[in-house]
Amino acid sequence: MEIEILENIKKAVMGYNRKEVASWARKAVEQKVDPIKALNAFTEAIRQVGDGFERGELWLPDLVGAADAMQDGTLILEEEIKRTGVEKKGIATVVAGTVFGDIHSIGIGMVCALLTAAGFDVHMLGVNVKVEQFVEAVKQYKPDILAMSALLTYTAQEQGKVIDALKKEGIRNKVKVMVGGGALNIDFAKRIGADGYEPTAPRAVDLARKLLGIDKEDKNVKRIHTQI
Amino acid sequence: MLKGFTRKFKPLEVLSEEGLEAIHRGSLDVLETTGVRVEHDRALKLFADHGCKVDFEERMVRIPPWLAEECLRKCPSHFKMKARDPKCDLMVGGNTLYFKHGMGMRYLDLDTWETRPATVKEHREAMIVADALDNLHLAGAYEFYTDRASIPPCIAMLENIASGIRSSAKAEHFGVVAGLEKFAIKMAKELGITIYGELGSAVPLTFFNEVVEATFLYAEAGFPVEPTVAMTAGAEGPATLAGAVVLLNAQVMASVVMAQLIKPGIGISIKHAIKPMDMRRGTPYFSCVSKSLTTVMAHQLLRRYGIPSCSSAGYTSMSKKIDFQCGYEKALGTLISALSGANLHVFQGGSGSELLYHPVLSILDDDVAGWIGRFLEGVEVNDEMLAIDLINEVGAIPGHYLNKEHTRKWWRKEQFIPKVADMETYPVWIQSGKKDALALAKERMEEILATHKPKPLTPHEEQIIEDVMKEAREYYRKRGLISDKEWVAYMKALESPI
Repeated sequence: MEIEILENIKKAVMGYNRKEVASWARKAVEQKVDPIKALNAFTEAIRQVGDGFERGELWLPDLVGAADAMQDGTLILEEEIKRTGVEKKGIATVVAGTVFGDIHSIGIGMVCALLTAAGFDVHMLGVNVKVEQFVEAVKQYKPDILAMSALLTYTAQEQGKVIDALKKEGIRNKVKVMVGGGALNIDFAKRIGADGYEPTAPRAVDLARKLLGIDKEDKNVKRIHTQI
Repeated sequence: MLKGFTRKFKPLEVLSEEGLEAIHRGSLDVLETTGVRVEHDRALKLFADHGCKVDFEERMVRIPPWLAEECLRKCPSHFKMKARDPKCDLMVGGNTLYFKHGMGMRYLDLDTWETRPATVKEHREAMIVADALDNLHLAGAYEFYTDRASIPPCIAMLENIASGIRSSAKAEHFGVVAGLEKFAIKMAKELGITIYGELGSAVPLTFFNEVVEATFLYAEAGFPVEPTVAMTAGAEGPATLAGAVVLLNAQVMASVVMAQLIKPGIGISIKHAIKPMDMRRGTPYFSCVSKSLTTVMAHQLLRRYGIPSCSSAGYTSMSKKIDFQCGYEKALGTLISALSGANLHVFQGGSGSELLYHPVLSILDDDVAGWIGRFLEGVEVNDEMLAIDLINEVGAIPGHYLNKEHTRKWWRKEQFIPKVADMETYPVWIQSGKKDALALAKERMEEILATHKPKPLTPHEEQIIEDVMKEAREYYRKRGLISDKEWVAYMKALESPI
């Protein structure tokens, strides 16, 4: 029964079916399937979708569709984890958001969904996030990574301001900073003192792994991102 | 059967109804007043037997308007082409566009941009690439790399079609090539495939013996024909575009009358090309806006007659390189031609005013063909496509469409994604070696050659091809057209590995 449920969870995620995913997550809770195992089935499914994307067989709507399909099911399982007191620890913690003055949400949303799917604990601060909010969140969550997005040329400067603020607070060396967004380039990322730069959302997970030294590159898959 | 592309909207037109009628009447006038020279006794008799005024001494045939119009009506609106693989069969006509292989005599060296005769291996590789391309529907193995290293010129184009049939399962065609067509027809009949005969008559108003004889051969074999009229306006025809089209159309009608008298109801497509003369160099402008205008006019006339068309506007660029000029001349000419209702369009791989060919260019052209084909398919408007409910459901930001089933279902159908265009983001482009479309097409060619396996011939099919080739080789050797020295080099060249 457990195997059947786990398989159906994967199938539902890969079929982009949010209702089905939630329904199988509920069934997992009813049948006392280990919720961590069930969450791992989500991760496995989204990883397969991600690999399909890297191979050129799947596309952004599939990636986002699969990440989206997991949302209700994830909440159900996380409730169960809380209720049963099982310890759940992601592979690393990430604080993420789009900088002040910029309300573009799709890119950072994709990054967060994919990081979550890959097993990271993600604290998404949203869009139009002020410098002090980023600093506060870094102090509160003590993340391994701070991920910032900016689509507009003039808002990209905000990323530098956040890094400067982290320095002032004496916590810059406690966190890796990765930046992304259409207005950026590698020179800019270097100039503001970021640790990593990735122009596209789908490859951000690989960059995060690389920054933390947990990179598991599939040699058959071409990935291009920059660890500075 | 290959679907090709279906034009879902009204075709582009440049002639008014009055203009169209004036050209039609003008062509009938030329046929009745001057007529055409036909250097073929059997055909002259056939014309005379069916009401034409024939001057047997001058070999001039004056065709009455009623006969011309009757023969135009006999042309079927569609005809079928049987390929070696039934999945690659074609139904030519209507609103369907098929892209046809380009032409170019010599191999283009991509390092020096100079040309040279192509080897056996290079022809085969080019055909494997052609077999793999999504938007190349009708192969034309015989008419690219006609200048072959170590293959005697008298038989090169027959070797080409043999190489083509071996390396691709797509439909093929052939032309009139110094008698080689009888061997090509025999090969096709025994293989059970259709090759149509491209029959190039001479302008102005002349049908030499060879092309008429070939018309009989193709017709009697039950194959369709493609009368081809290529004219240099200002030299072989009037410099005015309307006048050039009157002459072209008269010659087209004479071809149609001849084909329909030989075999009533025979499938026909008309290949047309009016190239203005470069009045300084004395060479044709192979690709130019005038050619596009006359192409649209020709398509209007052929649509009125209900006869499928084969266009060559954009089939070649005058550039000697694969560069910006090559791209814009080929793409613009082909787009206009497609919008105006071409059924077949000569395209992938050729450039340099028919001088050169390279499979890398066929790969680049295939992206252009896909782009144009997608445009022809147009826009579907219904409740699901309008997506009004979805727009209302998503609302304003932070709503978006990337996670919607509707997006997953439809985006791929609505978009065309080129295979080798540089679409990378700037940073990725920098980091991956600043590759342009040409570099990406070279990589794609390597990938195709490493992975694509065309449908193999059966031993029986291979035997048919080899038997016909053996017969042809002996025929030309006995006639003294292949010397002993040439023969040795020829046989050695054929041993080249695929």
